[in-house]
Parts: sequence; C-alpha cells; structure tokens
Amino acid sequence: MDNKEVLLRVEHLCQYFGPTKAVDDVSFDIYKGEVFGLVGESGCGKTTTGRSIIRIYDITSGSVYFKGHRICAGTLSYREAIKAARKELRGNVTAERRAELEKIIADNKVEMEKANIDQKNADKEYGKQRAEEVRRQYEELIANASDPEEKERLIKESKDRIKAAKRSKIVTQIQMIFQDPIASLNPRMTVKEIIGEGLVIQGYTDKEYIEQKVYEMLDVVGLVPEHAGRYPHEFSGGQRQRIGIARSIIMNPEMIIADEPISALDVSIRAQVINLLNDLREKMGLTIMFIAHDLSVVKYFSDRIGVMYYGKLVELADSEELFRHPLHPYTNSLLSAIPIPDPATEKTRVRITYNPLEEHDYSVDQPTLREILPGHFVYCNDEEEKRYKEKVANE
Amino acid sequence: MAEKILEVKNLKISFRTSSGTLKAVRDISFDLYRGRTLAIVGESGSGKSVTSKAILGILAGNSIIENGEILYDGMDLLKLDEETMHTIRGDKISMIFQDPLSSLNPIVKIGPQITEAMLLKNKAGRKNARKDFNSLLGVLKTNMQEACPSDSAHIEEMAKTFDNFCIEANKLEDSYNRSDSNAQDLKEDITNFLYMHSKKQKQSVKQLVSEQIKKLRNIKDSFYTHGFETDLEKCLNAYNTAKGNYKADKKDPSFVNDDLLAAMEETGKLLDRMSEQVRPNFFRIGYYRMVNPEEDIYGYDRNELNEKALQVLDDRFMKEFLSYSSKGLRNSYDKAEAGKKEAIAALREAETYFSSEIEQKPAEEYAKTLIEKVESGIDYLEVNKDSYAYTFKSSLNGAIDKYFFYVENNPKEEERFEKQTAKREALIAKGKTVDWKVVPKNILDLDELKSNIVKVCRDVRVRYEDQTEQAAPDFDAKAVDIVDYLRDKASTAVYVITKEMAKQTAIKLMTEVGIPEPRMRYNQYPFEFSGGMRQRIVIAIALAANPEILICDEPTTALDVTIQAQILELINKLKAERNLSIIFITHDLGVVAQMADEIAVMYAGQIVEQGLSEEVFYDPRHPYTWALLSSMPDLDTKEKLEAIPGTPPNMIYPPVGDAFADRNKYAMEIDFEQQPPMFDITETHRAATWLLHPDAPKVEMPKIITERIERMKAKLTEGQNG
Repeated sequence: MDNKEVLLRVEHLCQYFGPTKAVDDVSFDIYKGEVFGLVGESGCGKTTTGRSIIRIYDITSGSVYFKGHRICAGTLSYREAIKAARKELRGNVTAERRAELEKIIADNKVEMEKANIDQKNADKEYGKQRAEEVRRQYEELIANASDPEEKERLIKESKDRIKAAKRSKIVTQIQMIFQDPIASLNPRMTVKEIIGEGLVIQGYTDKEYIEQKVYEMLDVVGLVPEHAGRYPHEFSGGQRQRIGIARSIIMNPEMIIADEPISALDVSIRAQVINLLNDLREKMGLTIMFIAHDLSVVKYFSDRIGVMYYGKLVELADSEELFRHPLHPYTNSLLSAIPIPDPATEKTRVRITYNPLEEHDYSVDQPTLREILPGHFVYCNDEEEKRYKEKVANE
Repeated sequence: MAEKILEVKNLKISFRTSSGTLKAVRDISFDLYRGRTLAIVGESGSGKSVTSKAILGILAGNSIIENGEILYDGMDLLKLDEETMHTIRGDKISMIFQDPLSSLNPIVKIGPQITEAMLLKNKAGRKNARKDFNSLLGVLKTNMQEACPSDSAHIEEMAKTFDNFCIEANKLEDSYNRSDSNAQDLKEDITNFLYMHSKKQKQSVKQLVSEQIKKLRNIKDSFYTHGFETDLEKCLNAYNTAKGNYKADKKDPSFVNDDLLAAMEETGKLLDRMSEQVRPNFFRIGYYRMVNPEEDIYGYDRNELNEKALQVLDDRFMKEFLSYSSKGLRNSYDKAEAGKKEAIAALREAETYFSSEIEQKPAEEYAKTLIEKVESGIDYLEVNKDSYAYTFKSSLNGAIDKYFFYVENNPKEEERFEKQTAKREALIAKGKTVDWKVVPKNILDLDELKSNIVKVCRDVRVRYEDQTEQAAPDFDAKAVDIVDYLRDKASTAVYVITKEMAKQTAIKLMTEVGIPEPRMRYNQYPFEFSGGMRQRIVIAIALAANPEILICDEPTTALDVTIQAQILELINKLKAERNLSIIFITHDLGVVAQMADEIAVMYAGQIVEQGLSEEVFYDPRHPYTWALLSSMPDLDTKEKLEAIPGTPPNMIYPPVGDAFADRNKYAMEIDFEQQPPMFDITETHRAATWLLHPDAPKVEMPKIITERIERMKAKLTEGQNG
C-alpha cells in the first residue's frame, strides 16, 4: 500500500462560485492504476471536483499535483493570509510580532506568485519538456538511419511530432467521460472526426495516422471501422458512450475521470460499459476516477471510495472497509439508502436519515479529516474521533 | 385479492414511421389492483412508456391502437373523447414523467405550476361531484318512489332534505377543517422555528412573523375558536408587539427578541389546546341546525352535542331514509337482475348472429337493440361500476365499425400496394435508382376482427352470468354504504381551495418532497433548480391533484440514492395513506424490489414474465429476467458482470419467434421459429419462454443469480431466526 505511486494529489482544493462553496477544502491522493470512486448526492460537488482537476474551472484555492507537476493552483488562501496579517498590523503590535507578520506577507506573496506561474505555465513547461524528449528520441533515430530516403521521412515525421509535443498539455493526460452521451457528442461531426479531434488539436496533420489511430480505438471499445463514417444520432446510447470512451482514450491518457458514465444508459447496456472500462483499465493500465451516485456500481468497480457531502470530503477508505465500517453518519445514511434487488430486504429496510444539525456539535471544536484506521479517513472533531475509534475497536 | 381498478386487455399499439410500422406494444394484458403497485421492468424501447401513455391517452399523433381495451371505472379509456379524458387525466390518473425538464413550463414560476392543477381540478371536481351527487340521489329517489309508490311525495321531500343538510353540513366541516389546517401549519412553523433557534441557526424573522400573524388570523371558525377567543386575541397582540419591535431594530433581520419567543410559545400552547378539543360530527349537526336554526350550538359541550344531534337525526330522518334506501336498492337490483337475464339470452343469440355473414346496416340496427338490452341490466345504484357493461356500447360499436371499415379498406389497400410495387419494379427494371419505398399494406385480418365483435358480446355475457349466480346482497348494509358515498361526494362538492390554501399546500408538498427553503423556491423559475430538485417539483405537481392511480415513469432515474430513497418512501407512504394504485416503470431492479407488489417484465413490446415480486426475484424463469438480474452488480458482487450482448431488435420488423432469442444464450431452435405462449408457473406467476415447455431441456439459470438468491434466502432465514 505504502509503495504505491501517487498519480494525482489534491491538496486543500476549494472551488467557490460566488458565495457558494461548491468544493471546500478537499484533499485526497489517487494512486497509479487504481479506481477511485467519488460518491455523494447531486450538488455535493463531486462533479465540480472532477472538472476542477482537468481545469474546466480555475480553482479558488489549493493545489492539484499530477505526476509531481502542479497543474492547478489557487490563490485565495494566500490572499486571505495576507489580508489577516495586514489587519493585525494596523493594530497595536510589538516590533517582534511586526517583523513576523511582515515575513508572513512576503512569504505568501512569493507563494502567490509561484501559484500564478504554475497555473499559467504548467502546460508550457510540460510541452517544452515533452518536445525536448521527442527531439532527443528522433535525433538518435535520424543519426542511425542510413537510407537517405528514410532519413528524409524521419526528419519530416520528427518535425510533426515535435510540434505536437510542444503543444501537448499535461492536462490531456487526464481525460473525461461525460454523463450524457447524447449531449457530449457534436451532432454535426462524424464519429471519425469526433474521436480524432484530440489528435488534430494536438497538431497531427497526418491523416492516415489519425485514421489508423481512430480505427484502433474503435476496435478497443468494441465498435467496427465501418462505424467511423456515421453520425452520433445513428447509434444507440451504449454505443454513443463507447464513442465517448474512445475519444477519451485516443490521447493515451494516464488517467480518466468518468463522470457518471452509466447513469444515462439502459440496464442491459450498463454492464457492457462497466466491463469495457474494467478491460481498459487492465489493458492500458489506466487510473480511473469514477464519479457516481449508484453505490452498488461504485462498490463493485472502485478500490477506494471518497464520500462527499456539501463540498466536504467526509469519509475516505478502501471500498471494502468503507462498507464494513461506515463511520461518518452521512455515510451510514447513504449506505442505508442503496436499493437492493431483494424484496425481503427492501421491505424491512430502515433508512437512516442524516441531519447535520442533530449529529454534530461543531460550535467549539472544529472538525478536520482524520485517520481513524490506516487508510480510513473521517471528517470529525476530537470528541467524534475518540468515539469512532472506540466503535471500530469494539467491532 | 383487492379490487381491480384498471384492466389492460390485449393492447396492441404501433406507430407509423417513414420507414414502416413500428410495433411498439404487442398484445399485452395486465390488471392493476387498488392499493397495490405494479412495476413494469424493461429497457428503453420495450414499450413500457408507450403503455403508460396509452392509459393516459397521450399517445403521439402517429400512433395506431390496433386492438385492446383499457378499462377504468366503467369506461374504456381508449375510446373516450378528449373532453372526458380531460377530467380523468391528472385528477384520477396522474403521471410522473421521466424527464423533469420537459414536464415543466420554463417561463412560469414553480409556485403557480404546482397550484395551477390544484385550483383547476378543484373547480372541476366540485362541479363533477355535485353532478354525481345529484344524479345518484335522483336515481335513488326514483327507485325509492318505484318501490313505495304510495309515499312518493314524502320521499321527494326527504330527498330534498337530505340534499340540503348534507351540503350544509359539509360547508360547516370545510370551514372547521380550514381553521384546523391553518392551526396545524402554524404549530409546525413555530416548532420548526424554535428548533432552529435552539440550534442557533439564523432565520429571517421579519417575513416569518407576518406570515404567522396571517395564519393566526385565519383561524376563525366559530366551532374551532369557541372558548378561546380572548386567548387568541392575546396571542395576536403579543405578535403585533413583537413585530413593532422589529421595525425599530432594522439592523439584523435574523435577530430574535424575547417578546417574539414568548409570543410563539404562548401561541403554540394555545394551538395545542385548540386541536385537542372534541371534533363536532358535522353530518349530524348539519341536520340539527336545519331543524333548530335559531339555537346557538357553539356553547354546548361537544360530546353532548354530538350525542344529541345523532338522536335527532336518527329519530326524525335517518332511520326512515335508510329503510327507504334499502327498498329502493332492492328495486333497482331486481330490475337490473331481470334486465340481465334478458340480456344474457339476447347476447347468446348475438354471438351466433355476429359469427355468420353480416351486412353493415342490419348489423348496426341489431347492435342498437342489443345495447339497449345490455344497458337495462346495469344496476345504476351500484357504486362500483362494472366496466364491461358500461363500456359495452362503445366497445361493440367500435368493433363493428372497425370490421366494416376494413371490409372496405382491405381490397383498396391491396390494389394500391400492387400498383406501387409494379411502378417501383418497372422503374428498377429500367435501371433507375428509386429513392422511395412502397408504403406497407394496412390490412387487418377480417376473421379476427369479427371474432373481436363476438368476444365483446361473450365477455359481457359471462360477466352477467356470474353476477346473476351470486346471492342478493344485504340491502340494509348497502343503504349505509350509499349514504356514505353521497356524503363523500357532498364533501367534495363544497370543498373550495383558495389561492392562499393552494400555496400553503404547495409549500407543504415541496417540504414533503424534500425541497429546502420552499418559501423562497416557490417564486423561482424551473431553470434555477438542479435536476434532482426539478424532479421533486414534478412529483409534487403529480401528487397535488391527489390521484387514484399514479403512473411513475422512471421517476428517480435522474436522482441520487438518498433522494431516491426519500422519494420512493414518500410514494410508498402516500400509497398507504391514500390507497393509491401505482404503475411503476423502471429498469432499476433495486427500486423494483422496494416498490413492487407485482412485476411485469417487458421486452420488445411483450410481457415476458409476470408475477408477484417475490416470485420474480426468487424464482425467475425467463432468460431475459435472468439477464437483467445478472447484468447489475449488487453489494456482494465480485465476479465479472454478465452483459447482455447486442441491442434490442428493430421493432419495425419484429422477429418471428421469441424476440429475445438473438441475445439469448439459452435460445433453442424453436425460439427462432415460433413465439412462446405464456406458461403458468403458479396462479400468479407466468412466463413466456419455451424453456418452460415440458419437452424443453433442463436449463440452470446463471451462477451469479443462483448465488445471489441463495445469499438473499440465507439473509432471510437469518433475519427470521434473529
């Protein structure tokens, strides 16, 4: 468990829309090759978290690291620290404290600057790095090539590839599958154009290469080449979702964020898509962040699960562990609401309701995300932490 | 078994499309019982939504109802005109649609959208109830007079009296209820406020106070407030003082002063005391007031008053009225019985008549006399209408018309088809490309149409024979029933919903379906709501009309689990409270397990398996049901899911044999050649698969399901032991 490589690290991610705190101080790691499930009711910020990670929104505060690169950075926390320090400065403070505060302001300013640069230049830096790598690769190849014709071809190819590499963005290593397969495909493009669009934007001009790649992807997701010339409306829901998946994997991403990929699909098709995602994960070594509200599917599919409630991550654990020891009252309420295809259980089922006002008293002691068991985190305060630990020990 | 409320029989629906006739529903039949839930399970395109739309009479314009009947309350819904359908739709049968976006008006605020139906239906409902009340009382009166011709004038007088005081009594009750519901609302508001206050939650107080004052003022029924007038005045004054203080303190609108808290607590106590008082029996008091109009009855002790009024009512009116009713009922029953006997004979004759060669004109004449005879067998004082007899006229006329239409139409169609085909082939022979298709023949089998006519007659005859064999009912008990029924109608007839009340109900419904801050939300537009919230609004609208049958077309598919569970519980609660019958359409088997009493699994326009919920879950027989069950993981699933390969068949060219054969790994040769009939497994459990044929090889269902069923059974016994 410990030697797992962290692929994506989210630190204190905040995403505010005006006064609405859609995501509020969420931190988690996603390890390479795992499926990380994110559950919660609609409006709890799970989709926003996913979208913030691929920079559809500019985040308010916090950072997201992908393969060690900081790809998102927000500045609100620094700004607030500076503001607080300035406010204190205006009052009566000792010289010692003054120096301290001034240092805080200066430090935070530097941090803010860094964050801005990272936010802006993450892609550029990555592009440069990639271009350099590709150039080195081709230089070697060209030097070794003996046939002049071959050499010319290689030079031409290398130019193309370097250009593409320069344009490449680190964020494209993370791809997204959207909930609604109908709305997410452009009705005026053929399947080939839709799937190949990513490559075109990246600067690939070689039509043959693109075509071949598209056919490859179609094959991977279980469609046939003759589908390439058709338009999205000619496909069934499940096939459309396959097109969406093909589009997301053509960039050879390391990670996929699947935002409720099966909610809009028919029952008989859902299993097909789940099985496909499972195969892809094995075949391509994908890491998947799986956002859904259907807990039976999340349980089946994910290695670890994070539970969100109103912008906060309230519980995070291995999926088995989470279902064995649900600790946070919201998780309990969520688990008690899962419909199970068994009339006897359903008729006797007791649903636990969650009322934050009743459950918690955070007037004195503020809660944070704490580790109750190894790898099992719960959002709680001191008193609750004690209670949860006792509960786990007693079981 | 409970009473049948809706019967769907041999329903066949298809759609005309540019590429041919799409057979959406292919001969399905099911019954819906009062107070039960029937779940229809299947994937999209299986015809489940089409069926529900047919029940509501909202099929698309290009639909063709080829065959079948949907019987409800003595009517065939498929043959009703739009105006009659209008009074049923929404009022008696309501629907929660799948897509909340398309069922809300984007440019009207949420509030009016919820209350609109309430207000309109209330108006129409009042009118209809009054009409029903009058007509039923009229029929009862005529029958009473026929039974006792000597007392004719007296009976006339009594009916008038009954009419008068029944309506009067309900007006009294209505006013009392209004005050009561206002009091309950206010009490709830106060409790909520104090609870939130104790949790130190900020609330906007100013608006709340004026609202509470308004509600307090609305408690004004003399029965309800009698004896509490001074207390009420005191509370109002306390509120007004508190309100005055708030005007002075404008800074913080959520600030709560002690005056207000005191006023609220005081009011809360008063409301408790008021709601604890004995409820007057208005039906009795209505009569009492009619005979003693001068007496001031508010001051009486309630129990005493109830007793006294009962005595007066019984002695002076009710006993006599009931005995006359009983006689009237017997009279009507005897008449109908005689009519039935005659009708049975006539129907027997008609069956042979319609089986032979018939001509249009004489057949129509014949039908006319036959209909008269059948209708003379209807007992109009029966509260539960016999759908077969009531719909006989429209069914028979419809069947005859259809037959003669196709007698004329079939040769025409044949001719047209041949002409077009010849033209097309000629063009092709010339080597031209033809970009049009020959429109398929619209031809129906005449023998089948004719047998439909005979079947209409036979159904009613069998029904009548059953009824005549039954012993005569207890007319005294039935007299009480019919008086109750009339009272019920009278109460609907006077029940007026004002805009303010509708708003209160709407806000309550919004709270009930889980919309936070309903007061603020009431004045917002649909686009300001998230998907889940919108669906809740739609559910609130459907429930607002208080329907008898609720059709839920995937109501929770767009919602997440906690809300889904809340809404399903809400629907179940309402079902129990209002004895609602529900048709629940979904593809989520977990939801089905929670909701359904009976399940019908649909595939490609047909019901492939049907049974009680336990039977379908613990002993599924059709391969498609197996596939559905094994394609979704539950909490204990570890192994690879068994996906159903392929997609559903194209229903323009439905497969010859079993429609599922192509995707079915258990398919046998016969599945591709011949459609399997329904095999009965138990009395309630049926499935259409050749695997159930005695000659079929023994096939085990997939391991993933057997294991799951074992797990469930183990859990079940564990639950029983522990």
